[in-house]
Amino acid sequence: MSLHEGELHKLIDCIVTSHYDDCLDCETCARELDCLAERVAMGAKINDLLPEVATHLCCCRDCFEEFEALVAILRAENSGQLDGIG
Amino acid sequence: MIDRTNEQWLADLTGKPDVQAPALEDLRYRLQRGIFYYLSRERSDLTHLSGQELGQMAEDLAQDATLRVMDNLDSFRGDSRFTTWATKIAVRLAISDLRRSRYKDFSLDGLTAEGEVLPSAGDTFPTHTAPTPENATERADVMMKIERALREALTERQYQALSAVALQDVPLEIVAERLGTNRNALYKLLHDARRKLRQHLEAQGLSTDYMLKLFEE
Ligand SMILES: [Zn+2]
Repeated sequence: MSLHEGELHKLIDCIVTSHYDDCLDCETCARELDCLAERVAMGAKINDLLPEVATHLCCCRDCFEEFEALVAILRAENSGQLDGIG
Repeated sequence: MIDRTNEQWLADLTGKPDVQAPALEDLRYRLQRGIFYYLSRERSDLTHLSGQELGQMAEDLAQDATLRVMDNLDSFRGDSRFTTWATKIAVRLAISDLRRSRYKDFSLDGLTAEGEVLPSAGDTFPTHTAPTPENATERADVMMKIERALREALTERQYQALSAVALQDVPLEIVAERLGTNRNALYKLLHDARRKLRQHLEAQGLSTDYMLKLFEE
C-alpha cells in the first residue's frame, strides 16, 4: 500500500487532532445528541453547550454525520419545510 | 396529527390499542417525513434516485425506526422533545443502512503494515506544489519516520483500523463490523492508536506543529 499526498495529509491531520485526555466515547455522545441537536438547530453553538461532545464530534466522523443529519432535519422542521412532505 | 407533550407521547404509545394505534401512525409519519427530507435534500450520493424510490426508502426506514423506538422507549430520558429523540434513532438507522449498502464489498484484507507504506517524496507531490530542494529532503525524512512509526508503534489491528478510517474514510461502524467489534470499542482503539503514533513521533522530535508546517500546501 502506498500513500498519496492526500492520504499523508489525512494521516497528519488525524495525528494532529488526537488528544491525550480521555475522550468521550460514541455511546455517551449518542446519549447527548438529541438534546444538543435541538439547541444547535435553534442557533446555539456546540462548544458553548457541551465542549466534550464537541471534541468527540470533531474526531468521530460517524457521530458527526449523525449529528449533522439530525440538526438538518430539526432545522427543516422548525422552518416548516417538512409540512409539505409525505 | 395531534401535537403531544412528551408525557402524552409515552402514555399514548403504551396505551390501549385505540389510543396506541393512532399514536404509532403519527410517530411513523413524522419519522418518514424527516427521513425523506434527509434522503432527498441532504444526501448528494442519492441524487440518482427518483422521488418515488426515495419515498419508498423513507417509508421502509420509518417502519423499522418506529419499531426500534418502541423497543427503546424505556431509555427516553426526557432531555429533548420525544420526537427529536425518536428522530435521532431513525437517523442512526437510516445512516447505518446507507453505510452498509455503500460499503458492502469493503474488506480489511490487504490493509497491512507490511511492505512499503509511503512512496518516496518525489512521487508524492505533484509538480505544481513541488517543494524547495532542502524541504524535499526534510519531507522525505519525516515521511520515512511516519512510515516507521506506523509499523513500530501500532499493532496490526490498530494499523488496519487507522488505515481504513483515517486514510480511506470508511465509517467506524463498517470497520467495527469487519473487525468483529463495536463502534464504541473501535473509537477507543483508534484513540489509542492516534495517541501512540503521536507520542512515537514526538519522541523523535516531530511535533504536530512542525509536521503541519512542513507539509502545508
Ligand atoms: Zn463517535
